[in-house]
Amino acid sequence: MGCVSEPKQLPHLGNIEIIKGDTIYHTVPDVTLTDQDSQVLKISSFGDKIILADFFFTSCPSICPRVQKEMLRLYDRYKEDDRVMIISHTIDQRNDSVSVLKRYAYNLGVDTEKWKFVTGVKDSIFDLADQYFVSVVEDPTAPMGFDHSGRIILVDKNRHVRGYCEGTDPESVTAFFKTVDALLKEQFPKKP
Amino acid sequence: MKGIKGLESFSVCRTFILKSMFIFLALLVGQWFVMAGCGENPYRQGQDLYIVHCENCHMRDGSGLGKLIPALDASKLTLSDPGKLICLIRKGLPVNKQTGQQMPANTILNDVEMTNLINFLGSKYSSNPQTVQVEAVKKLLSACQTE
Repeated sequence: MGCVSEPKQLPHLGNIEIIKGDTIYHTVPDVTLTDQDSQVLKISSFGDKIILADFFFTSCPSICPRVQKEMLRLYDRYKEDDRVMIISHTIDQRNDSVSVLKRYAYNLGVDTEKWKFVTGVKDSIFDLADQYFVSVVEDPTAPMGFDHSGRIILVDKNRHVRGYCEGTDPESVTAFFKTVDALLKEQFPKKP
Repeated sequence: MKGIKGLESFSVCRTFILKSMFIFLALLVGQWFVMAGCGENPYRQGQDLYIVHCENCHMRDGSGLGKLIPALDASKLTLSDPGKLICLIRKGLPVNKQTGQQMPANTILNDVEMTNLINFLGSKYSSNPQTVQVEAVKKLLSACQTE
């Protein structure tokens, strides 16, 4: 599961609840975030788009650059595809201010209309990571104080988690292209 | 020949000889593999050190990350000067105001590891690779610390 492509129907990851006869899939909460231009946003405000998400911080000396490099590959692949949005959440609220995020985006050389760099209330970002099934822990013994996984998460337009890959592993990301394509095919039967 | 014939009468000794021959053959084959391995990549330890200490930021292929982390093939000047490269790795770089990124100082590589690492980097990215020896690296390292 996860990075392995499922061409027919991608699974809905997470707990499935049955409430009053309805099947309810795990849904990523629509928390309020602030982007690199100080714009307040919610992922629901993206509209009918699928989302690629990760968690990072700009001064991260360990896995982040590698994960962002792989995110950059995804960005290049879906740059012209308006059905896809990319969002990177910082987990370092103390150092990654809005201006730091903006500078980071600029130096990464990406269009921030497509790829948002967001921050928010620390607890809600950590909780959000949990809901995306990404482990994020503050750990004084880890490099620069954070320990986190380099997963890249695929969320459908209803905010259900539909796949993920390990952003530290280029082969896993290459396989993930198929997962993203499968979701696009499922959610947008006719290409605009 | 007589000696060997004598030994043959003892089955224990025969097994011993067979075993010894087998081990000898195994060693020969093993050595061949080791030599073949060295032939493919003469900077094996340097490469391993690169993977552990540099790859997270500079990437497996040395391509870096946008303007945030420089690509190594763009740094030919530094790479062809072992003295500069050694100091750069040992001391790192302060926060760059344009990018907000800094290169962390690496204080844990010992002299031999530093030698292997820069010889690997030189062989891979320098336009004018120079191989340096441990003794030279020791001197360059102490020169860089007193600067």
